[in-house]
Amino acid sequence: MEATIEVTGLRKRFGSALALDGMSFTVQPGQVTGFVGPNGAGKSTTMRVILGLDAPDSGHALVSGQPYLKLRHPLSHIGALLDAAALQPGRTARNHLLWLAHSQGLGWRRVDEVIDQAGLSSVARRKAGGFSLGMRQRLGIAAAMLGDPPVVMLDEPFNGMDPEGIAWMREFLRSLAAQGRAVLVSSHLMGELEDTADHLVVAGRGKVIADAAVADLIAAASGDRVTLRTSARAEAMTVLTHAGATVAATDRDTLTISGLTPERTVALLTEAGVRFAEVSAHRASLEAAYMDLTRDAVEFRAQPAGTAQEAVR
Amino acid sequence: MSQALTIARHRLPHSAAPAWESFGDALRAEWTKMRTMPGTAWILAGICALTVAVSAGTDAATKCTIGGACAADTTRLTLTGIEVGQALVAVLAVLAITGEYSTGMIRTTFAAMPRRSVVLAAKASVLTCLVLPAAVVAVAGSLAAGWLILPGNGFTAVRGFALVSLAHGPTVRAAVGSVLYLALIGLLSLAIATMVRDSAVATGSVLGLLYVAPIASLLLAGQPVWQRRVQRYAPVNSGLTIEDTTGLRHLPIGPWGGLGVLAIWAAASLLTAALALRLRDA
Amino acid sequence: MTAGTIAPYRSPEKPAKDRFSQLMHAEWTKFRTVRGWLIAMFLAVVLIDMVGLLVVRPNVQCGGACLPNVPTGPGGEAVNDSFYFVRQPLAGNGSITVRVTSLTGQTSQTGGNFGPGQQQGGLTPGLVPWAKAGIIIAASTRQGSPYAAMMVTGSHGVRMQYDFTQDIAGLPGAVSAASPRWLRLVRSGDTITGYDSADGTRWATVGSASLAGLPGTVQWGMLATSPLTFKSNFATYAESGGSVSPTLATGVLDHVSLRGGQPGGQWTGVEVGAGGAGYSGHAVGFRQAHGQFTITGSGDIGPVIGGGSNTEYDTSTVALHLLGVLLGLVVMVVIAAMFITLEYRRGLIRTTLAASPRRGRLLAAKALVIGLVTFVFGTAAVAVAVIVGIWVSRDGGQYVLPLSPLTGLRVIAGTGAMLALASVLALSIGAVVRRSVAAVAAVVVAILMPYILGVTGVLPASASEWILRVSPAAGFAIEQSAPQYHQVIGQYAPPDYFPLPPFAGLAVLCGYVAVALGLASWLLHRRDA
Repeated sequence: MEATIEVTGLRKRFGSALALDGMSFTVQPGQVTGFVGPNGAGKSTTMRVILGLDAPDSGHALVSGQPYLKLRHPLSHIGALLDAAALQPGRTARNHLLWLAHSQGLGWRRVDEVIDQAGLSSVARRKAGGFSLGMRQRLGIAAAMLGDPPVVMLDEPFNGMDPEGIAWMREFLRSLAAQGRAVLVSSHLMGELEDTADHLVVAGRGKVIADAAVADLIAAASGDRVTLRTSARAEAMTVLTHAGATVAATDRDTLTISGLTPERTVALLTEAGVRFAEVSAHRASLEAAYMDLTRDAVEFRAQPAGTAQEAVR
Repeated sequence: MSQALTIARHRLPHSAAPAWESFGDALRAEWTKMRTMPGTAWILAGICALTVAVSAGTDAATKCTIGGACAADTTRLTLTGIEVGQALVAVLAVLAITGEYSTGMIRTTFAAMPRRSVVLAAKASVLTCLVLPAAVVAVAGSLAAGWLILPGNGFTAVRGFALVSLAHGPTVRAAVGSVLYLALIGLLSLAIATMVRDSAVATGSVLGLLYVAPIASLLLAGQPVWQRRVQRYAPVNSGLTIEDTTGLRHLPIGPWGGLGVLAIWAAASLLTAALALRLRDA
Repeated sequence: MTAGTIAPYRSPEKPAKDRFSQLMHAEWTKFRTVRGWLIAMFLAVVLIDMVGLLVVRPNVQCGGACLPNVPTGPGGEAVNDSFYFVRQPLAGNGSITVRVTSLTGQTSQTGGNFGPGQQQGGLTPGLVPWAKAGIIIAASTRQGSPYAAMMVTGSHGVRMQYDFTQDIAGLPGAVSAASPRWLRLVRSGDTITGYDSADGTRWATVGSASLAGLPGTVQWGMLATSPLTFKSNFATYAESGGSVSPTLATGVLDHVSLRGGQPGGQWTGVEVGAGGAGYSGHAVGFRQAHGQFTITGSGDIGPVIGGGSNTEYDTSTVALHLLGVLLGLVVMVVIAAMFITLEYRRGLIRTTLAASPRRGRLLAAKALVIGLVTFVFGTAAVAVAVIVGIWVSRDGGQYVLPLSPLTGLRVIAGTGAMLALASVLALSIGAVVRRSVAAVAAVVVAILMPYILGVTGVLPASASEWILRVSPAAGFAIEQSAPQYHQVIGQYAPPDYFPLPPFAGLAVLCGYVAVALGLASWLLHRRDA
């Protein structure tokens, strides 16, 4: 059995708001899976269902092939960070980890290991109530790593982190995946995941809109397009349209061409004597790919029903 | 954050609006807050309902049989429900301030209204405005229960009992005093909760004061000097003397004097709370 | 990069076994690492002891010298032992038989409040229910010595009583010249057997008493006595308790016959415990004429009850030193409620439930941890309050009824258990309402309100009793250290006495805790975290 999260057909309704509407996906080991979608897409609810905190109206979520409530010492199957602020301010970071360790039959040794791992050694004996958001995130990571789990699930781990922290977190997530762990990271900012995630599950309106490798998504969003920078826009458009391409002016001196390879474009332009500054294969950003995918979901937020999504959090 | 607030406090008074004006704004703000706090209406309804229910139940359960010597203070008897009502008043007062501390909203409040004493004064005013009408209904309902039930249970004027009615001077005094008592308990609770800040600890402190102090005075029978001191100067014991209409000469402290002692406690606690707000970081 | 290129991660750690103790360990760590909670537990201990020992410090005007010399019976219990005794010595075995033809009584008009300084007043006729006249065999005339007696009473028929606490009913009905009562006591070694008869021919055994260590020569003879009457005030906050008045009983006995002992021995009258309890005036004494004895006595032979309502002394039970428990209870209830509500306030409950998904087990672990912690701290505090309290009282001249080690243990551990149950109740309510204020208010009002209404005498006695039976405040019954006696009339009122037996009261509280825990568990399962 591979260590994974399997989510199948989750449905959940909070009052009149449909929070989950058939959410299904699987998280594979050895890679970072980004779980993205606009606010209210059902990401946090899905994660709570995975952890057995919320009961779905139908469907089920499995961790390592078992329902969460069947797991003994669940933290050794899956480590999760849901809400970094969820701690008691009066307790020191070390003691917070200690009670959690005790609940899993672990002791001091493991606590000190994860404190080191999360880079919290210098503040471990300080009260967690005085921590900055970034430090709390690290404490949450330490808690998630307590059981040395093969599956790690983090809800918005980049929130409140400084650039140094974000870099550390990216490196950390990559290393977890390299060790063969399944990593599920939710975020509503694509930029954060651009260099981190291998795979994306895009959610909207409580279900999965796209479930694909990052490379495929970008390729799909890029299409077979070519970007051309030239001061002779009109001539270039004439030449290329003649050759059967679709040409769109994207800027004062930039054209986007579909239906021609870069080589062919260069050849055609050279042949016609049109001068150009640059020809390149168009590469869409992950952000753009994401915006394409979630446009529906975002539009839906403008509708009155979308306000009910607030209740989900 | 707190440093910024300190600066604001020191500089603003020169240019800011006069205190009464900011008090008006604070009053409106606190009124809106209190009005929209979930549970306020339920608690106020509970104050009325529980007080009257316990009073009526006590009246119904108390009988003075023919020939039996019952030295009952009928007015006090029919105001038994105040014992329960005061707990809900305390809960309302505690929620009014600790709810802000537990959510961190207090920082928003003080950022918007940097004069913290004014905020406390506004809270106290709004609380009193809410408690007073509820207390009037609760006390009136209790008296009505006594008026209806007690004569039928043997507490008749023929047998020397004062009828619970508004024609009876001491009863009117007890009624008015009980309303004021509830309001003062609210203020005292608000002050204690402001000092304590945590909702659970505040509730425990206030209810401990309300319920343990009277028992303490009772069990101090072996030490008359201390017992008398507790009865005279402990806030709850002294305040409740306002309900007595018989045996006034034997009271450790006069009815109005007793209520006065409670008022002094409430005022002193509010001042201390205002000072604590000023000195501490939000 | 695909899943195929990297082997799924396996932790090198060996999985630990899943035990309930781990969950409890976790919850205990959670508890002890919030310093404020530990401090609060110590605060509860300090409150229980400080209030119990210092605030309730007894009158120190004359200190231990004021301590009344209350006799103790064979079982170590405080007793009243005052009666008029017409006696002679008996060496060895023997039997005494009398006929009682009349029992009348009088009440002293002006009684006193509790405590010394009673005034003597005029006498009005009136027989109290437990006025007594009859025959007795006692080890000696020293107060508190072992005895067995057959007596007619004011309104409880013939009774055999022995060693102060034991009471066996004989023939019912009042005594009169037309309907006399024959009484007989037979001594055989340490065993004394009582018989009664309506006609002097057909005898029935009432009971048999084994008086350990009865000396060879004992005192036997006739007695009359009548206990203090207690009148309860309809109390308000300011005044509670009541007043006691001395009473007298006069018995008329004839057909006195002795078997065994010294033949032709002379009867001498003695006022056992003279001036100790009750009336001491000219009316007390005996007349002997034509084989008929008219004996008038005042006082009682029986246990002293707490609260001083059947003795002229100001006696209390050890409950006096448990006043601080009320404050300690509030502190513990607050902490117990916070133990669960604070998890909800910040969302920590999600971390907790993610680590321990089986919610019923989690609630059980939490309840056990808070219950054990409050039990340990509570029991320790109460032990100090009781043990040191008794010493402090004695030193200060305040009489506290002696209690057996076993009873003391029950009061100490039971009060600790009561505090633990109240805490678990707070935890359960906290899990149900998920709000600190509501949980604390509900539990404090549910436990202290009925106690107040029951103790302060705001309510009439029947309503007070009812509320102390059915409310969670019934648990305070475990603090009762002195038993109630049906043969002793007095004020059996809190804080010394409770309407339910100690463990029954605790069981009522247990019932509330069980219901609350069940509800909490059900809701915890049913609700999303």
